[in-house]
Amino acid sequence: MPLPRWALALADDNGRSGSTDAALASVISLSHLDERALVAEAQTGSRTAFEELVRRYDRDVLRLALNLMKRPEDARDVYQEAFLKVYRNLHRFRFECSFYTWLYRIVTNVCLDHLRRRQARPEDQAPELNAGLHEEGITDFFERQREYRPTQDPERTLFGKEIKARIATAMERLSPRERIVFEMKHYQGLKLRAIGDVLGTTEETVKNSLFRATRKLRHELGGLR
Amino acid sequence: MSVFEKSLSCKDVAPLLIFYACDEVSDKERKQIDAHVTNCADCAAQLAEASGLQEIMAAAPQSADELDSSGILLAQCRSELAESLDDLSAPPIEEHWRPFGWLRRSMALRPAWSGALLVAFGALVGTQILPWMQNGNNNNGQAMNVTVKPRITDDQLANMVVGGITFPSSSDSGSPDVQVQLSAEQPLTLNGNVQDSDMRRVLTYVVANGARFDAGVRLDCLEALKTVSRDLQVRQALITAARKDQNPAVRMKALESLRDSAADDDVRQALLDALEHDVNPGVRVEAVNVLVGSLQPGEPEGLTPEVNDSTPSVNPGRAAEDQSIERVVRALEQMQRRDPSRYVRLRSAAALRQIGPREVQ
Repeated sequence: MPLPRWALALADDNGRSGSTDAALASVISLSHLDERALVAEAQTGSRTAFEELVRRYDRDVLRLALNLMKRPEDARDVYQEAFLKVYRNLHRFRFECSFYTWLYRIVTNVCLDHLRRRQARPEDQAPELNAGLHEEGITDFFERQREYRPTQDPERTLFGKEIKARIATAMERLSPRERIVFEMKHYQGLKLRAIGDVLGTTEETVKNSLFRATRKLRHELGGLR
Repeated sequence: MSVFEKSLSCKDVAPLLIFYACDEVSDKERKQIDAHVTNCADCAAQLAEASGLQEIMAAAPQSADELDSSGILLAQCRSELAESLDDLSAPPIEEHWRPFGWLRRSMALRPAWSGALLVAFGALVGTQILPWMQNGNNNNGQAMNVTVKPRITDDQLANMVVGGITFPSSSDSGSPDVQVQLSAEQPLTLNGNVQDSDMRRVLTYVVANGARFDAGVRLDCLEALKTVSRDLQVRQALITAARKDQNPAVRMKALESLRDSAADDDVRQALLDALEHDVNPGVRVEAVNVLVGSLQPGEPEGLTPEVNDSTPSVNPGRAAEDQSIERVVRALEQMQRRDPSRYVRLRSAAALRQIGPREVQ
């Protein structure tokens, strides 16, 4: 789908003074496009439209990758690999689902590949960075200081760190798919149906995965209350 | 409350409590669970535990919050992605065209093998490719059937040696087919009719330059040329042979070959010269025979101009014809009286008798 006439007209009006202004106007106009129009524009080869799509969703993508992979370098790899796959395969997107669902399907598949690879060869992987478990490993002064901001309740902070450490340990017991389902449900806030769409499976299957994940976590986190 | 809802047991409710806590049950299920937990302390405790776990998970700091609280990682990811997209979007680098770069690199690493390969390649090109290309060039374009006749150059004529002359068959047109074996720079067999210009040129050269060739070859050439004696060059060669050839048989054959052209002034003069001056009586008798033949009724029509354009018109007027005949008669009368050979004298007398009645008429 090409850009609406108003968007193109806006770009033309603002871009009269030069190519830079035109590009800026194009970005401004693209930011007002809905997802479908933006994807359609990106499918025509517009790099600007694609970058606008990336900006709309990459924060959530990186967050999902960080929560799942627990390592910044792995999350960065997932981010790169996922968006490059989107870029290469965008012309195949047929609007049969939302772009968000399609994007997350790619991201979760990349995450699953990485997690399964990590499970298959744990000796090749660096240890996960869990603040509670590896606090002594935090060398950055500012990273360390932010945990002790005076506005925070020290008791709550200590409790949160203990919970986080226990959760991190408990999450290690989950399979990659259970981990993704739990992450998408509890931290991304997706409904089970949407998770099923992302993972390309049924809602019932997702329910089973979430049930097993929750039972495992409850077992691991018993006595935390 | 329906009968179904009343019958919902703890076993049915327990699996739903986890989904109840995370708001993934339908309204109907929610009502059933609410109704059940109000009357079931165990299930209420399980629901509280599930809700508590939910709260704990929600309250727990997430890895993403700690690992990229400042957004530096996100900015770094965006920058790296932009670079990757630039690489994908950039046109492929066009390297300078380096023909056979792989071959040159390979040859640089193996100098001995490369030298042998170059030698073999040169030999292959020289012995196979070039002849093949020449053949290919000959076959290009429209097919042309060209039979290249052997062109005998002047140098070849000057240096040639005639090995033999044969007459394979007689032609219907009266002009014989001739095969001439030549040894010039290379052995060469020349086949053709005497009417062919190249063939005639070779035979004429042999007759005109008799000193270089065998008498038999000269005789064969004269035999072949007698049918084309009306050609100017052939006639001149025959006249030369009749006057200058060392061999009397050749001179006789030359005179015989001039029979068809005997009415020509040059030929007649050559005949008279042979009659009066040739040392060989046989040649003189042959000259008498040709002269008498040329004066016989019906003979002159053989010299019609249309037979050979190059032949000078022999159209003697009455006076010129009478003058020519008078010269022949005087020559015969002298030969009848003074020729040392008795046979020549007798033959001259006989010729005068043959001519005599014509003189009377």
